[in-house]
Amino acid sequence: MKKFILFILKTIIIIIVLAVLLDYAYTSVYLQSNNRNKVDYVYNSKNRNYDVVILGSSRANNHFVSEMFEDKGFRTFNYGMSGGHLFEASLLLKLMIERKYEIKNLILEADLNLSNDHQAEGVSAKFLPYIHNSETIRKHFESEEDFNELYYIPFYRYIKFDAKIGFREIYKTAKGEATSSLDNLGYYPLQKHKKGNMKNNIVNLKPLVHNKYYQEIKSLCKKNNINFIAVMTPMCENVVGMNYFEKVKKAYPEIHNYENVVVENKYFSSCGHMNDTGAKIFTARIINDFFKK
Amino acid sequence: MFFNSLAFAIFLPIVFVLYWFVCNKNKTTQNTLLIIASYYFYSCWDWRFLFLLVFSTFLDYYTGIRIEKSKKDSGRKFWFWLSITVNLGFLALFKYFNFFAVSFSELMRGIGLKSSPFLLDVVLPVGISFYTFHGLSYVIDIYYKRIKAEYNFVDYSLFVSYFPLLVAGPIERATHLLPEIKVKREFDLQKAKEGVYQIIWGLVKKVVIADTCATYANAIFDNYTSMNSFSLILGAVYFAFQIYGDFSGYSDIALGVSKLFGLDLLRNFNYPYFSRDIAEFWRRWHISLSSWFRDYLYIPLGGSKGGMWMKIRNTFIIFLVSGFWHGANWTYVVWGGINALYFLPLLLRKSNRNNMDIVVLDWSWDSVKVVGNILLTFLLSCLAWVFFRAKTIADAVLYLKQMFTNAQFSSQYLANERYNYELILMIVLFVFVEWNNRTKEEPISEGKTMLKMALAILAIIAFGTYSDYKEFIYFQF
Repeated sequence: MKKFILFILKTIIIIIVLAVLLDYAYTSVYLQSNNRNKVDYVYNSKNRNYDVVILGSSRANNHFVSEMFEDKGFRTFNYGMSGGHLFEASLLLKLMIERKYEIKNLILEADLNLSNDHQAEGVSAKFLPYIHNSETIRKHFESEEDFNELYYIPFYRYIKFDAKIGFREIYKTAKGEATSSLDNLGYYPLQKHKKGNMKNNIVNLKPLVHNKYYQEIKSLCKKNNINFIAVMTPMCENVVGMNYFEKVKKAYPEIHNYENVVVENKYFSSCGHMNDTGAKIFTARIINDFFKK
Repeated sequence: MFFNSLAFAIFLPIVFVLYWFVCNKNKTTQNTLLIIASYYFYSCWDWRFLFLLVFSTFLDYYTGIRIEKSKKDSGRKFWFWLSITVNLGFLALFKYFNFFAVSFSELMRGIGLKSSPFLLDVVLPVGISFYTFHGLSYVIDIYYKRIKAEYNFVDYSLFVSYFPLLVAGPIERATHLLPEIKVKREFDLQKAKEGVYQIIWGLVKKVVIADTCATYANAIFDNYTSMNSFSLILGAVYFAFQIYGDFSGYSDIALGVSKLFGLDLLRNFNYPYFSRDIAEFWRRWHISLSSWFRDYLYIPLGGSKGGMWMKIRNTFIIFLVSGFWHGANWTYVVWGGINALYFLPLLLRKSNRNNMDIVVLDWSWDSVKVVGNILLTFLLSCLAWVFFRAKTIADAVLYLKQMFTNAQFSSQYLANERYNYELILMIVLFVFVEWNNRTKEEPISEGKTMLKMALAILAIIAFGTYSDYKEFIYFQF
């Protein structure tokens, strides 16, 4: 039995050593990457200057046409992340400030994402390779339930989120294969979908009265002299529970309500996401209202 | 509690330590601990079905004794049929009732009669097909006087509910497992080490091969109408490896875990994709079920004794029943039927027992023929798997039609944001490893074990699929 216990101990040591080595190798690769997604694009960068930075979820990513801002002479990048919550938007802004980005205006898409202040695991996973290298990221994740496992167990984060930061992603990162997420200055245009879902029910959504990460973004902007513009972006006409936007307006009067700027279904790819044509109409309106020279 | 879960990783060492350090006085304490552990393991799914398991155990234990004690033939028959009826009744009720009700209703509608089926709102108790078959084989063996009834309830309960085999087999025989249970187990270092190797290899099969293949197979099968021939061929191949990795991986873990407790279970898989014909395939795939049907259905039906017609009839019966055993859906029945059809030429040519030896290759023309036969057998099994995987027979037929008529063999980007060809290298590597170790139960033991174990662990950690978690397929059966 003693021999068997020794054998099991050896096996456990092999597992730990492999986990530590793999963790080191994966992290080293991610530390060199800056063309796979918006997180590594920011993390592995130095100071950049922007007139306009856009943050939010896919409803920012698919709705703000960066090139239209550029055409008006504003250096712009759309950092909206599909599936992301304000948790990730706030962390991305912190990393930008840490890297001494000079940002004049920040447009935050703040509407449906105000209903929660948790991480969106699929998106937040992109920050995890850097958790041991960045105090900012570590602190941001500290209040999350699974922080101890993610931080202290070597390689656990790469196992838990293998679809996002696992072997396949590390292979493509090591190869230097770029994705399309940085094309069009971060804006991702959608096409009109014949089968797109043009109905939505948001009756059960309730905006948090004090969304921790919304407040965090707001105060970061104030502290760093960034002009903060928060907007609600359009949804299609067949939405049940539209008073959600009124509730947001009541809780956060400073957020500009642009929900009904574009309503017709022909401008939408799905109910919550405008197509390229709709996005251009919406962006033109935003530029006109906030950036008219 | 799944074998590849954190809960099991905590459960197993606790039971192991208690088994060898606390309860190792005699076989009764060892068996009692294993029963408690097994009942806890089972109740982790749904404690309510524990009553069903205990009832089924008690029924077969009691009827077994009554069959043996009955002096009159009528008494023996009564207790025998009582056990068979109740066991199969439970299976029919939980597994097949809704299927028959819906099928009957569809039949009525087909002939123009209105019918709305009465359906039971019940969950299929996990492992019911497996432990029912344990009990049935035991009672049948006593009835035919092949074995003596077991009078020790603890020993018998462990035979039925032993946790490594409780939910997905292998389907054990009383003649094999009970004698092992009836003696005190002494710790055997070599056996325990082999157990660990087998558990690790089972995990490679499950999380690296099966779960990764599942991601691609699902993306292809769920969108087969928009897939080209190349994707559909790959989809069938990926599913073939998914189901093999999933089920044989589970069996490997079960066998490995059992070895840690000093008990050998029946081998369930013997590299089936290296078979040279379908008959050999069925001697190597889910061996415990195939042999169960052979011994308790095929042979009682007359086996191969009544001439060619009887042989063919009996072969079709066991394949159709085997298909139906897998699930209450016509797709499984068709899958069984297709395998029976594959068997037919072998029966007619009386060549179904030609390939009984281990495959050996050299640089001769015969070896080329052998490789060709292996590939053909694999191809045939892949075509049959399409029916096993598809939701309906119509889906399977359309899948195959599209596969043969589309005639486009380019790469395709799948719904899971991956290219269809991405797993080919992994599968080739897996086949290479299995081929080179086909004379052993798993590839880690014998020579450079630490290095091979480290590589297997590396594969599990680095290449496993975890975030898109998939249950073991055979749990649903």
